Amino acid sequence: MARFVFRSIVSTVITMLLVSILLFWLLEVGSGDITIKILGVFSTPEQRASYRSQLGLDAPSYLRYSDWLVGNDWRAKNKIGFDVVTIVNQATGEQEWWADVDGVLTRWNMEDGKLLTLRRGADGSASSHIVSIDWQSNEDGSESFWGVDTKGNAVMWVRGGGAEVWALTKAGLRKQGDGPQEYIPLRKGLLRGDPGKSLQYGRPVAVTLAPRVRNTLVLAGVAFIIVMPLALLLGIYAGINEGKPSDRFVSISSLGATATPEFVTGIFLILVFGIWLKWVPAVAIFDSPNAIFENPLLLVLPVLTLTAIELGYITRMTRASMVEVMDSAYIRTAILKGMPYSRVVMRHAVRNALMAPITIIMLHVNWLIGGVVVVEAIFGYPGLGKYIYDAAIFGDVNAVEAAAMLTVTIAVATRILGDLAYTFLNPRIRYG
Amino acid sequence: MKIPQISKKQMEKVHPYIPEAYGLLEQGRVSRREFLRLATLLGMSAGAASALAACGGAPAEPAAPAGGEAAAPAAAGGIKRGGTWKSSMSLQLLDHPARLSWVEGANIVRQFGEYLTETGSDNITRPYLLEKWEASEDVKTWDLFLRKGVKFNNGDELTADDVMFTFGEWLNPDIGSSMLGLLSYLSGMQDVEKVDDYHIRLHLQTANIGVPEHLFHYPALVLHRDFEGDIIKQPVGTGAFTLEEYAEGERAVFKRRTDYWRNGEDGKPLPYLDELIYISTDKDAGIAALQSGQVNSLYEPRPADFLASKDVEGLTVRAVSTAQALFLRMRVDLEPWDDNRVRTALKLCQDRAKILQLAYFSEGELSIDAHVAPVHPAYCEKPIPEYQPEEARKLLEEYAAEKGIELPLKVTLATKNDQNEPEMAQALKEMAAPAGFDITLDITEPGGYWDRWTEVDLGITSWSHRPLDTMVLPLAYTEESIGAWNETRWFDKEFETLLHEAEATLDVEKRRSIMCKIEDIMQERGPIGNPFWKSIWNITNSKFKNVQAHPTAYDLMYEVWLDE
Repeated sequence: MARFVFRSIVSTVITMLLVSILLFWLLEVGSGDITIKILGVFSTPEQRASYRSQLGLDAPSYLRYSDWLVGNDWRAKNKIGFDVVTIVNQATGEQEWWADVDGVLTRWNMEDGKLLTLRRGADGSASSHIVSIDWQSNEDGSESFWGVDTKGNAVMWVRGGGAEVWALTKAGLRKQGDGPQEYIPLRKGLLRGDPGKSLQYGRPVAVTLAPRVRNTLVLAGVAFIIVMPLALLLGIYAGINEGKPSDRFVSISSLGATATPEFVTGIFLILVFGIWLKWVPAVAIFDSPNAIFENPLLLVLPVLTLTAIELGYITRMTRASMVEVMDSAYIRTAILKGMPYSRVVMRHAVRNALMAPITIIMLHVNWLIGGVVVVEAIFGYPGLGKYIYDAAIFGDVNAVEAAAMLTVTIAVATRILGDLAYTFLNPRIRYG
Repeated sequence: MKIPQISKKQMEKVHPYIPEAYGLLEQGRVSRREFLRLATLLGMSAGAASALAACGGAPAEPAAPAGGEAAAPAAAGGIKRGGTWKSSMSLQLLDHPARLSWVEGANIVRQFGEYLTETGSDNITRPYLLEKWEASEDVKTWDLFLRKGVKFNNGDELTADDVMFTFGEWLNPDIGSSMLGLLSYLSGMQDVEKVDDYHIRLHLQTANIGVPEHLFHYPALVLHRDFEGDIIKQPVGTGAFTLEEYAEGERAVFKRRTDYWRNGEDGKPLPYLDELIYISTDKDAGIAALQSGQVNSLYEPRPADFLASKDVEGLTVRAVSTAQALFLRMRVDLEPWDDNRVRTALKLCQDRAKILQLAYFSEGELSIDAHVAPVHPAYCEKPIPEYQPEEARKLLEEYAAEKGIELPLKVTLATKNDQNEPEMAQALKEMAAPAGFDITLDITEPGGYWDRWTEVDLGITSWSHRPLDTMVLPLAYTEESIGAWNETRWFDKEFETLLHEAEATLDVEKRRSIMCKIEDIMQERGPIGNPFWKSIWNITNSKFKNVQAHPTAYDLMYEVWLDE
């Protein structure tokens, strides 16, 4: 058993790595210039190029992939010559990057065209100092300096290389001077627990992803708790009553529910119960972060839609499996030797008949979490599937990668759970 | 109603041209709207201008209350305070307001921040955070006078330093603001002069009458002088609400501010509403939420949403004419569109009324083939061209004979599936067939088209509303703008001379006569076909009063109130 679990984990890690490379490559090829989406079509090419470099998108793709996986603070450290460290800003709760210059946390800020040194005091305040900057001479005669800026980037400033614009400073008008020329947006990398910043939203992926995962877990969880027992019961009931009117009723109605696409069911439910009768909220409007807990009625229609599509599928699966088992020789034997019917069904038939549905159910857990994009879109439900979809359309690599890693993990975890359930249901199966 | 008497001398003190314009108004040669636009443009307060306009012989309309510079239509009945307004609108990355490239983000920042001017729903621009502006005779020097006593929500008073800082952000290329292109007449901060704490002078390199309108362009929010680049972390502004929560892709929550500088009709500070909530959803979910009463409004309804809501009880639909359009634009540097006969032939193939009906459910105004709309103050009225496929065929036959090619002429029309462009493209394909065009459609998702919108030979591009014709024409139809937003590569010496003349002409009458020529040139040899101007709608729950439909889909919420 331990070996089986170990093998599963190893294969999970490999799967995740392959998925991440594949997704990275697909987004690389498939998405256009993100800076157009952020700055708009009326931005100039120079502005876009500048913004691209501020986002670190001008680095070669292998470098960006490795940054994503293992971070780049060690790369920045070589350039700056000091350790770069993160601390949590108590006021905002967000992570900040600083350079550790001989024990003093330091950043640099460009103010009025001049590079200033900021030092962090023990109380968390930053004071600005005019310290002579240790400019490095380059071969081409220019002078440059690597440091950490106030926005979490390692930046190379070039002396006199600032944009040729006039800026208003406290000392009057002057030309912009020591300008930033190269950026490395600092990050620790996924392996060290930092999925990076969302390009679409400009916030850490962990912050934007967490509420979506929670919403989806609630929706999927409620749907699962309602659908699975109901579907199994209906399937078993139909299976042991094969050919009777009750079986026909269950089979046909479940076929109908499954055959109707979820967008049809969803819109139908919205129109009837949300807009016409006004019994329950039509769509999931989250006017506060905890809207589903404050007003659980928001879940009614999305769960009903998921129930309609899932119920029929699993019911039919269970029914077919049950019919097959009830036809087998050992059930006939059990009945012939006079065992009570209920005991035959519960002890002998159901156990074996559940093998096939379990596989389906476990596959569907994953679908409920990452794949219910259509249902989430119809109801405006802010869930994980919608998150992945929006991020992919935008070309938001970090968000897609993080969400995909999560769904891969869930997929593999549910598979392992399914396998464990098999061994419980059928002692003949043992994974050695 | 008591109308303040304003003498000619007082008018002259504001600007020497105002008495003359007033004369035109009295003679009925300019409309009230044009007079208002001109007088406020020259620095007269809107209240005084409205009062003048009311006694100026023009068709009587209720004048705005005198002294209320940012005049809104007076509401009937007693104002009530309190309540929450919810709207569905998608919420994306929002950091630097100067970098805004989408109106949704502007609708967020405008609830807690403000602009120097305001272009109202009537397409007239008035001073807002400015007390007034003054333009020199040659329209090259602009004096902006800041209103005194306006406080940011952090307690600081608004002064010229904040405005100077904001100008600096716009003009800094590293910020990535689209204001940089709009303010191309300022070569840098050396052209922006701080005269004193409430007075800023702009020294324009080239004359431009659009300064007040530019100051209300949606990225032009006035920032606090200590702004560091992320408005969500530092939601400091002079507006009537404060930002309580902003979660991208989820929601934005605003609370009423108690010490806002403008007073409501009951003499207490605005706003009337206690709370605003934007919820980020898809349009489809938004329209369902609107109909079920879960939200009260929906950002920029699509034509389908308009159709679904117009007869729903409890919802009020307000339509407004705009200068938004879908342009059929032709690359004049590529065959066959380099030949004006082919361009003219395709333009003749537009059955405008039918296109409007098919693509936009007749919710718009028919147009001539020029980028000047009836809502623009200097629009010169021209007859709407007819659908003439036979004429078009003649032109094409002539062209084909010269080139030694066979008709039909095969061309590809590219566009995006976004705002009913496919319907327009399909209609055009059928209408142009009898003239000898064989149009293949190449329709992609919006992103796919925006990646190549300046590159395709023939395309349908959507252009957003701008309050002045002189704001948009230099963007897309001059030699200078090739490589930027001149998607057709078309430019014309005579046109450009006229355009520069128009940019420096304050007098609406004179500018209209220039626009007449500009429109003629565009119709005669221009690069665009334009069947119609779109209307847009504001759909809001009827219990909200004082709601305005703005041509740029801006949510102006300060004076909206709730009547349960």
